[in-house]
Amino acid sequence: MTCAERHELFELFSLGALEQAEQSDLEEHLARGCETCERSFQEAVAMNAVMLGLGSEQGNLPSPSKKLRRRVLTGVGLERSGWGWLGALAAAGLAVIAVFLATQERDRTNELANTRQDLLRTAAERDRLAQALSILDQPETKQVSFGKDKPQPPRGNVFLNSKLGVMLFASNLPKLAPGKAYEMWLIPKGGSPRPAGLFQSNEQQSAIHLVQGPVDTEGLGAVAVSVEPEAGSPAPTTQPIIVAGV
Amino acid sequence: MRVPRLLPALFAFGLLQVALRFKDDAQLAQKLRARDPHAMADLYDRYGKLAYALIFRIVRNTAAAEDLVQETFLRVWNRIHSFEPGKGSLGPWVLTVARNRAIDYLRSIDGRMSHNSLEIDRVENPAMFSRMEDRALTLDRAQRLKGAFEKLPANQKLVIELAYYEGLSQTEMAERMKQPLGTVKTWVRSALKTLRQELMEAATV
Repeated sequence: MTCAERHELFELFSLGALEQAEQSDLEEHLARGCETCERSFQEAVAMNAVMLGLGSEQGNLPSPSKKLRRRVLTGVGLERSGWGWLGALAAAGLAVIAVFLATQERDRTNELANTRQDLLRTAAERDRLAQALSILDQPETKQVSFGKDKPQPPRGNVFLNSKLGVMLFASNLPKLAPGKAYEMWLIPKGGSPRPAGLFQSNEQQSAIHLVQGPVDTEGLGAVAVSVEPEAGSPAPTTQPIIVAGV
Repeated sequence: MRVPRLLPALFAFGLLQVALRFKDDAQLAQKLRARDPHAMADLYDRYGKLAYALIFRIVRNTAAAEDLVQETFLRVWNRIHSFEPGKGSLGPWVLTVARNRAIDYLRSIDGRMSHNSLEIDRVENPAMFSRMEDRALTLDRAQRLKGAFEKLPANQKLVIELAYYEGLSQTEMAERMKQPLGTVKTWVRSALKTLRQELMEAATV
């Protein structure tokens, strides 16, 4: 990103409203001491301050209760409540409990959001496994092994079903550099490789990759996998790490 | 979809308050750093209503708004030592802290992730506000900004309000508005460019 491009993002940056990658880029750039961007940042903060000031001046917004001033001053320990030291102690205790409960509540809400995401991921994984099992279950599914006769891994199996699709089980996959992914290719007999999806391995360097839908298994010559940029490639750009002849 | 209608309802008197209250904070900041008990009361008298109004505008709940105002002033009190004495404006800092407390509250009840403390520390860093020049906050600039905002097309106004008063990222705006992310980014970029341009012109007059 150039400084001119960053210039357009500082208002959102100081509102904390950028995506994580952009937020980090700007943070790191400012930390390196770019004077131009520091100036842009200052201007953005000033603009945001005026915008927020305008936002607080809407005509029909209510005023705070009269007790709030005392609460604020009591909260920073500058004023006692009207109940004497015992009341002040109780109020402080209640304030601590209230802050504790509010924090707990926020933590719980965040945990709930994370759990919801985990559940969605688990459900997606479960559906994928169910589809994988349905391919394995079919008597007409054809199995091809790869890597057994090679001195180096990866090794595994490809399962082909003309109605349901192609499934790859692979182990001992090479570790990927950042920004890379494995890409599967379906290679027709006498034809060029067709992209069949990107995937990553798990921590044990194993992977299951499923391509759903009808496949011309009779016309298929091989299934291959190569390492490609994580956005994928229209044709293999590296030597395949897996080639399973069908 | 909740469409906030905020800025069109501004009063001219309100603009004057916004601009003038942000000035002449240097002495107050020094007293706060010295832990002068009256200074906190002065700070609340100067910015309490503004902070409350901004927070209420965002959370729409009086009890939550009062809790968040208390949190805001407690945070300012605890971090005033980082505010350089003799410089800068306290108002923008107080309003930024208030806005962030309210947005975090909103995110927590919406089940969205709160900002992490490092992000908050960066965007609320008092040193940053103490470097802000008073000329950034004149009445003329506030009036020009208001005028420029009112002239924005409806979709650009909406994305600005979603960013400032609901704390949505551009991806979240796109989901909320059911528009492509690229379109939303264009609206945001155009709106901010217009507002920025207006402020720059005000500064050169």
